[in-house]
Amino acid sequence: MYIIGENIQILSPRIKAAIAEHDATYIRQLARAQVEHGASMLDVNIGPRKKDGTEVMPWLIEEIYDEVGPVPLSLDTTNAAAIEAGLKKCRELGIEAMINSTSADPDRLNVTMPMAAEYGCKIIALAMDKNIPATADGRVALAMEVIIPKAEELGIPMDRIYLDPLVLTVNGCQEHGPETLNAIRSFKMLWDPPPMTTVGLSNISNSVPHEMRSLINRTYLVMLMAAGLDSAIADPLDEAQNEVIRIIEQRDDRTGVGRAYLALYDAVANMEEFTPDHVDMSDPDQVAIYKTVRILENKVIYAHGYLTS
Amino acid sequence: MPGTVEIPKEKWTGAIRQVTLGATADQGGSRARTVTVGGETTLPFLFFEGAIPNPPVIALEVQDSYPADWSPVLLQAWGDALRDPATWARKAEELGADLIMLRLRGVNSNGQLTTTAQATATVRAVLQATGLPVIVRGPGQAERDNELLVAVAEAAAGERLALGLCEDKNYRTIVAAALAHGHLVIASSPIDVNLAKQLNILISDMRMPLDRVLMDPTTGALGYGLEYTYSVMERLRIAALTGDSMTQQPMICFVGEESWRQKESRAASGVPAQWGDLEKRSVTWEIVTATTLLESGADIVVLRHPKTVGVIRNTIRKLMAQ
Repeated sequence: MYIIGENIQILSPRIKAAIAEHDATYIRQLARAQVEHGASMLDVNIGPRKKDGTEVMPWLIEEIYDEVGPVPLSLDTTNAAAIEAGLKKCRELGIEAMINSTSADPDRLNVTMPMAAEYGCKIIALAMDKNIPATADGRVALAMEVIIPKAEELGIPMDRIYLDPLVLTVNGCQEHGPETLNAIRSFKMLWDPPPMTTVGLSNISNSVPHEMRSLINRTYLVMLMAAGLDSAIADPLDEAQNEVIRIIEQRDDRTGVGRAYLALYDAVANMEEFTPDHVDMSDPDQVAIYKTVRILENKVIYAHGYLTS
Repeated sequence: MPGTVEIPKEKWTGAIRQVTLGATADQGGSRARTVTVGGETTLPFLFFEGAIPNPPVIALEVQDSYPADWSPVLLQAWGDALRDPATWARKAEELGADLIMLRLRGVNSNGQLTTTAQATATVRAVLQATGLPVIVRGPGQAERDNELLVAVAEAAAGERLALGLCEDKNYRTIVAAALAHGHLVIASSPIDVNLAKQLNILISDMRMPLDRVLMDPTTGALGYGLEYTYSVMERLRIAALTGDSMTQQPMICFVGEESWRQKESRAASGVPAQWGDLEKRSVTWEIVTATTLLESGADIVVLRHPKTVGVIRNTIRKLMAQ
């Protein structure tokens, strides 16, 4: 699993303050920590940053480069000029860059997709236009009719396009969970060679109490991996999540929890139902996995107390 | 060419809990009869997929002081009965209500706060005036709800009142009082499936048996969010029927309260002529809202206008005819 570290992001008050005060100490710490915890790429999310994005983005890239060297970077802003300034800086420093992001909305597609062609970089394409389609089919249609044709027209190879079907929180947008999963499956089946896929994983547990987020994130990640997910913007510092990725990739069935996650992976990959028979229901950890799958499949309504009811 | 068509049928695995309101003398209360709601094993009125052992029921709203802010249509229809909760409740029973929903405003007509002694006296008077099971709602402000409902719960111990509203910010005191004195509670959430389920979990965690919990999904009147209420109720009901234990509560909808506060139910002048006669329009508003919510899975509709009762009674009878 190709993990794009999500921790340098403007919604964090400490990151916001670091940028405002032009003090990169904390950002450099986070960059190092994420790389040490196995992140393959780092997301650099500066928000819209309309005024000074063209200065902030190259500055952050330099600071991060100075700390961790030429680790690939995902340039995450809606400010196209800031992205382009970042792409230039990455080229200058020999850093592999990714644009985060474009979408099927022509206002974004016609600006950022040509940049990906010009700079020969990777690009995340959100399967939405002005709105997020309610179904997997709606997302797939935008990829088929708008995003991929545009990439082909510009000669961008499929392995540089990262389709993102959009993950929304299980607490309020629960019906999207299976749709996002099915969209990943379709993205990987519809083209040969297939495009790459990614998601903003932690969104699945937005507005969920902190102590429950990791379980939901890592369980959904297993399901997404089984559907064909290539990469995720996620928290590389989440050790439990890293362990689950290892279990799946090495097919480590030595523990009960490991066997449960592998059974989940196989069930989703084979499009079979994940049932209580797949887990040891006398093990509370496996029961928690089972209950989490049920809410992620939108079969049981999410509530903060779903694990105890 | 003749052929046979198999109508596809949903196989539901869950059931709504049966909840009984009121207790007779030999059950520790003083009601002439009890009312049981819930028990459905199918979506509303789809008898070919399951059973509906208890028809939906009608509650009429009674208040502890004269509701001067109500629509003149309601004030006229009820007349002086509105000046005395006991008389009002007796008339509601005569009109064919299954339940009395007593709303404690917590202030008298002079705007003074009522004491707990006054509130319990009102509840006692209503219990004496009618043999129907009674629902008691507080003023809707946490501190006052707790103060009044705790006193009411104690004064009416054993009557199996339904006490409300329990909300996520304020439920512990009401649930504890209901637990201690043999009552039911109403769990209310703001048109949100996740919060509705969570509140049932929280109430259940206090060891309140779930056959003593009604669920209020919050009612939007016709033209004012009715479709959101519909969606939430449908979602909760489907979850319940597919076996989600914490969504299997019967649902109560405060139809009258929502319907009668809308402009269409109040405005006699300054509205387009085609809106027509105020009385006909406002009663129709309540009827349409109630009917829609019955079709959405309401087990109890709380109404205000006497005419609505007859129409909804007839509607329920027809919908229940198999």
